[in-house]
Amino acid sequence: MPKMPPQVVRLVLLTIGIVGSYLIARYFLTPASFNEYGHYRGAALMEIASHPVVFAGKKSCEDCHFDEFERLGRFEHKTLSCEGCHGAGQAHTENPDIRLAILNFSHCARCHEANPSRPSWHKQIDLRDHYAGEACTECHVAHAPSQVPESPEAP
Amino acid sequence: MKRPFTRRSLLGRLAAATACLVVAPAVRAAKAAVKTVLVSTGAPKGYDPTQHKWLMVVDVNRCIGCGLCAEACKLENHVPEGPFYRTWIERYIIKKPEPGSGETHGEVLVDSPAGGMNGFHDVPVPADDILQSFFVPKLCNLCEHSPCVQVCPVGATFDAPDGAVLIDPKYCIGCGFCIQACPYGCRFMNPVTHTAEKCTLCYHRISRGLKPACVEICPTQARIFGDLKNPEPDDPIEAFVRNNKVQVLKPHLGTEPRVLYAGIDREVR
Repeated sequence: MPKMPPQVVRLVLLTIGIVGSYLIARYFLTPASFNEYGHYRGAALMEIASHPVVFAGKKSCEDCHFDEFERLGRFEHKTLSCEGCHGAGQAHTENPDIRLAILNFSHCARCHEANPSRPSWHKQIDLRDHYAGEACTECHVAHAPSQVPESPEAP
Repeated sequence: MKRPFTRRSLLGRLAAATACLVVAPAVRAAKAAVKTVLVSTGAPKGYDPTQHKWLMVVDVNRCIGCGLCAEACKLENHVPEGPFYRTWIERYIIKKPEPGSGETHGEVLVDSPAGGMNGFHDVPVPADDILQSFFVPKLCNLCEHSPCVQVCPVGATFDAPDGAVLIDPKYCIGCGFCIQACPYGCRFMNPVTHTAEKCTLCYHRISRGLKPACVEICPTQARIFGDLKNPEPDDPIEAFVRNNKVQVLKPHLGTEPRVLYAGIDREVR
């Protein structure tokens, strides 16, 4: 076997050194969960999933307020989320002493103010004509909107 | 030239083997230590992303433009104040054609004041000039072939196995390529963290069995959320898709979104 020239031996050793240090660095620097699901850090999924929840969801409301929940379910507002009007409730579910807004009637106009972009099936009123200046709750019950006590020809 | 097998060479080889035995556990211990530093937990238990495939259907006919979804999204995801939205509502106003112009419709106006978060009180066009008008809620379109994932130079954004397109904030370098790549304008640069941010489908909620905040809060059920791998017994999406014609935004781009729209017009982009 002919003797390998020394410059080739050095080159081979240098290559092995570079590749070896790359492999060692990769071994230590690649996060453990990398390639768990794909070419990314699998732990990132659970990190994103660990953020705290702000809106508790309608099911949590039902756990305590089942009577109000049942009543709401019988009327037009049954598709509404409790937290849409009363505000985000996760803090309230964890500590009932943290109260939510009971009435927040800027919300009536938010959905029911007449707007030409709104679909025609949706009930809308012109705020200037429809008993302007009076609170919606004078006539309407938010949880049972079709119960309107003696409304004299509402415009 | 072959080296003779001597006592010295045997001792040398034995020493090398012992060193390997000592070093291997040390390497393993070092790797475990690195793992504990880099990997944090605290996530909901029992969520397996390979067992779900999420999708959303948006029924434009039901959207009343109240803006609760955009507002709830900001609250739920702690999106910074200012013009940054993970979901928002666009108002389309299609004006009547000029008399005698021979066109099917006039100018198309699209606006989204404050992302529609506060509703749409002011109408920029007299009602008599409007041919047609409607609201279109927008969010991450959950592309099967996501352009944003393809352009990320550091692999920080990825398609999760459950269909959500997520960003690893620890890897994101804030270059903004993905923001330009998204054909639906669904990404923005977080001014606080200087990393790209987008709709995660409320990943922290869906992994706990809750609906995304926008779906939860929508008063008219204009947004329907579902799981293609575990459809509910009376799956609302299945019923909806059976009875309605749905389409996706910008189908010519071949992104194959998993956010389906019902009731949109050709003007919607």
